[in-house]
Amino acid sequence: MANVIRDEFRAGLARGELLLQKCNDCGRLNMYPRHACPHCQSLSLGWHKSAGRGVLHSFTVLRAGAPEGFESELPYAVGIVKLEEGVQLLARLAPEADGDWQGYRCDDRVEFRPASAEHVAQRPCAWFARAND
Amino acid sequence: MGDTWPLQTTAKSPNDPLFVGVGELPSGRYPDRNFIGDLTHVGLHALADAGMKPRDVDTILLIPCLHSAVDQADLIFSRMAEELGLIGHLKASFMVHSGGSTSDNAVRLASGLIASGHARTVLVLNCERWGSANVNEMVTMLSKYGIPNEWEMPTGLQFNAIGALIQRRYMHATQSTPADMASVCVTLRNWAQLNPNAMYHGKPLTVEKVLASKVVAEPLHALECPMLADGAVAFVMTSAENARSRGLDVAVRVAGSGGCVSHYSIGQEPDLAVLGWATAAKRAYEQSGWGPKDAQIAEIYDTYAAVTAAAVEGLGFCAPGDGARWFASGAADPGGKLPCNTNGGMLSAGHTGVGGGTALLVEGVRQLLWRAGPQRQVGGVQRCIVGGTGGSYMDAQVLLLERSAPGGR
Repeated sequence: MANVIRDEFRAGLARGELLLQKCNDCGRLNMYPRHACPHCQSLSLGWHKSAGRGVLHSFTVLRAGAPEGFESELPYAVGIVKLEEGVQLLARLAPEADGDWQGYRCDDRVEFRPASAEHVAQRPCAWFARAND
Repeated sequence: MGDTWPLQTTAKSPNDPLFVGVGELPSGRYPDRNFIGDLTHVGLHALADAGMKPRDVDTILLIPCLHSAVDQADLIFSRMAEELGLIGHLKASFMVHSGGSTSDNAVRLASGLIASGHARTVLVLNCERWGSANVNEMVTMLSKYGIPNEWEMPTGLQFNAIGALIQRRYMHATQSTPADMASVCVTLRNWAQLNPNAMYHGKPLTVEKVLASKVVAEPLHALECPMLADGAVAFVMTSAENARSRGLDVAVRVAGSGGCVSHYSIGQEPDLAVLGWATAAKRAYEQSGWGPKDAQIAEIYDTYAAVTAAAVEGLGFCAPGDGARWFASGAADPGGKLPCNTNGGMLSAGHTGVGGGTALLVEGVRQLLWRAGPQRQVGGVQRCIVGGTGGSYMDAQVLLLERSAPGGR
């Protein structure tokens, strides 16, 4: 099924960019990207490159019961990031140096971590990690 | 009218929609039971409870099953009309579906059909076969339902992870401890000891046992996650006039309802520690004229402790942030000041999919009919608050139910 919005978002991830949908009429950002602007119903929609900074609203480390196709990745962490631009998304979280996520806390500052084009082709989602500060 | 929805019927209206009977089969693992057989039997139980026969029903609403698309098609395409001998008699048979909150929406729908005259007597049927289904297939299905395929499925999100995201934020925002959260599960298990139909009847639980179980999706332990179960429940609604003419002297009416769809994707929920409960509760209380202190019991969707803790706060049973501690205080336990989830809830009666919320609703009606049996009947209960939610906790739905006497006092 054709899905231009999804494909353009994923092409951005493969280039190392986190794209946010931006309405060409009202100028507001939409996440997740929509097929009409939910604020003004405009069909003229483009993209804005995110600065990739935000705070971690919540997260979990899944240690059992992965969906089909994800079994070999256990354990892995997902979290909800509230971006500085005022929109939010679910992302994967990079492990810390010890391979775990025990240093993560809610409301931590986090940054977008571009993944390789190969990785994005396999898992087309954004990755974030704790900000180094 | 703005944000208010005045109810169009009162307890005195002849077309006031009333619950008049409920039915239930035990929840758990029952591989020898049959899907259509369970639907038939539970429907007959509910009709018998109402003093009715299948021919008294003109409309059947089906609560969906999730274990099989083929079995679900039988619900959609009127199989139960044949099974119950209603071919040529039944006006309509169709499925209603909003996941876990389906039962709340089925009540709204049945109420509207009855109040408007499009139906006189509605039979609502549910059967789920999750307990006997292939667990891996169900886990995979539950990592696809209620999760946007373009935006969140590629992360590897699944249902326990959604519950864990809510629980983590809830614990952070409220400073609730792991023991506080586990106490919600223990309260439910205490109720299940009084319900022979509950999956975990005869299997008591402690906070220590919960916290000693394996962590499956941080911060959730295995014993904080719902167990998939087989189950079946049904209820009957009819008009007050019809209930009266049939000589029924006890029924349950819908004093009001409220709802709030707060997100579709869990990644778009603005506050995971709050969800839509306060908005839904305000709308329900305004429609009914009730407040949180007017009910003697509550039956609230409980797949994960934090969902229910957020709900009791939004409903005003305790101060914001105190939901889990409120459970830990014993307030919702047998003998507590506001008994909650008196059938053991989904965490201890069993997660029968869309049927789990239906079982809580049916338990609330059963309590208001004073038919919950000597062990767990809450004495003199007149009013019950029912809370439901579906998908990735996309909505909060509130039904306010009260005991009524259709024959007049």
